[in-house]
Amino acid sequence: MTTRQVERSSWAFLLPYALGTLVLVLIPAVLTLRYAFTDFTGLGSPQFTGLDNLRRLRDDPFFAASLQASAFHVAMAVPLRLFAAVALGLLLAAPRRGGRWYRVAVYLPTVVPDIALALLFLWVLNPIYGPLNQVLGAVGLPQPTWLATPWGARVGVVLMLAFPIGEAFLVVLATRRAISNRLYEAAALEGCTPWRQLVHITLPLLAPVLVLLAIRDTVVMLQVSFVPAYLLTDGGPGNATLYLPVYIYDQAFEFFGFGYSAMITLALIAITLALVAVQVLLVRRWRVLR
Amino acid sequence: MTIRFERVSKFFGDVAALDELDLSVSDGELLVLVGPSGCGKSTALRVLAGLEQPTSGRVLVSDRDITSLPPHRRDVAMVFQDLALYPHMTSRQNIGFGPRIRREPADEVRRRTEEVARQLGLDGLLDRYPDQLSGGQQQRVALARAMVRAPQAYLMDEPLSDLDVQLRLRARTEIVELHRSIGATTIYVTHDQAEAMTMGDRIAVLASGRLQQVGTPAQVYDEPANRFVAGFLGSPPMNLVPGGGVLGGEPDTVVGVRPEDISIAADRFPADGFRAEVALVESLGSETVLSVRCEDGTRLAVRTGPRSPYRANATIALSVDPGRRHIFDRDSGMRR
Repeated sequence: MTTRQVERSSWAFLLPYALGTLVLVLIPAVLTLRYAFTDFTGLGSPQFTGLDNLRRLRDDPFFAASLQASAFHVAMAVPLRLFAAVALGLLLAAPRRGGRWYRVAVYLPTVVPDIALALLFLWVLNPIYGPLNQVLGAVGLPQPTWLATPWGARVGVVLMLAFPIGEAFLVVLATRRAISNRLYEAAALEGCTPWRQLVHITLPLLAPVLVLLAIRDTVVMLQVSFVPAYLLTDGGPGNATLYLPVYIYDQAFEFFGFGYSAMITLALIAITLALVAVQVLLVRRWRVLR
Repeated sequence: MTIRFERVSKFFGDVAALDELDLSVSDGELLVLVGPSGCGKSTALRVLAGLEQPTSGRVLVSDRDITSLPPHRRDVAMVFQDLALYPHMTSRQNIGFGPRIRREPADEVRRRTEEVARQLGLDGLLDRYPDQLSGGQQQRVALARAMVRAPQAYLMDEPLSDLDVQLRLRARTEIVELHRSIGATTIYVTHDQAEAMTMGDRIAVLASGRLQQVGTPAQVYDEPANRFVAGFLGSPPMNLVPGGGVLGGEPDTVVGVRPEDISIAADRFPADGFRAEVALVESLGSETVLSVRCEDGTRLAVRTGPRSPYRANATIALSVDPGRRHIFDRDSGMRR
């Protein structure tokens, strides 16, 4: 094959993905941008309304509540999920008896569909017959009513999302396995304890991957809170779990405010970009990567 | 300090990596552990460093049993085959890592790091990361990391094997000179018999976890204790021919002769020699190695001077000084 032919066939291979990106991402994005400045309801033709939606956003108490719910969610879920993935990944990276079964167990919740996991957690978090409260009661700890209280609901959703961490877990596991054992032996010869090996060798060498995972998880947590919130709490109680995707959905499909929901979507994109930018800046500032 | 292995065995499952190793290293000596890969030489070093626990036997350092001491209490520094430099640390941080872990004062760490770096010619390279250094420079950083500790003993596990030939030859000399100037007991592991011959005060030859012979390079080369040592040291290796063949000897023996101990007779039909046909001529510049086929089919390597006049298919006459022959028992392989 000539270079030209190779080039042509590589475009052919890319075509389905390019089409998908165009139809499923780019066109909706452009439409969202347009609708955000209209009063589009899904019926009739949209009228351009200038900055009305933006003003409405500013004064909308539900948007403020939604923003708060999402902020708390990301602040709790991202560190917890990352910690769980790193701890389990490092723990299970070493070859040990039965290790593969533990690795399967950690990955398994990731293949369970969100809906099934949410239904499972409705049971787990049930205040009366749910296993979580039974365990808490057995060891004499308070038994919260979970989804019936604002903070109980927020923590409940985070607890559920602490389980599907298989991808980050695998990435950490693979990265740890790629670090030569000699580095640890050289450190052991110098009297470096396992804890200091973790601090001085493992974590610095994992840093590039951790940065990537943190940024990715921030983006994901801003978005995938939708299914659990919808099934577990439906945004409540008292808007405590009215995460941005939930509010966008409500505005668009419950109230037919497509124009306004497009504006909230733009806000979500802007917030996501801002959070990622802050993370990148911090990483540079703290010289996590050299 | 002196080092002694006493009947040290190490099993990995059913496989004996070390089989009752008895070996002593005297104070200030550079001992080379040499053998083919998988012979147990690295295991011996790792047992000494405390990175592996022996299955049985004891390791003594300066007559003190250290078998159960953790690695960092043994006062030995190790240079690994892959060097094990921390990729996220500069040369300075790599060299100073041990002292910093042991919470030595920062000023002192800095002073010693710079002193060792100067000794090894790493002056301008202290703020570079390992991936910004050449192979030879990385190797010296690894060496500096060992030296900064001023240990009682150095353990080197094939530290030069990843370098290219030119660099390896130079680094070899540098390590020997460094050892002379520091004077610390050093065990150097290699599979390269040329490295063993040139570097060691003494050589210990290992095969299948067993010690085959220990001695000065000359002793081991001139009086190999068994067929394995005879065949392992020297390049090309010693010719080993069943007794009663072209090299003479009793039928229950194997007769060995080094390629340089076979002389090519001027006379085409010497009384005490034999004839052979030249099969292959390998000129190495400073010497020529002839691969010859004797009349009974035996293949021999013959080493001769540079600019050899012999060509393939020529018939030549060879003779061997009987005193230069090595006789080994056919069954046990031991020297007779």
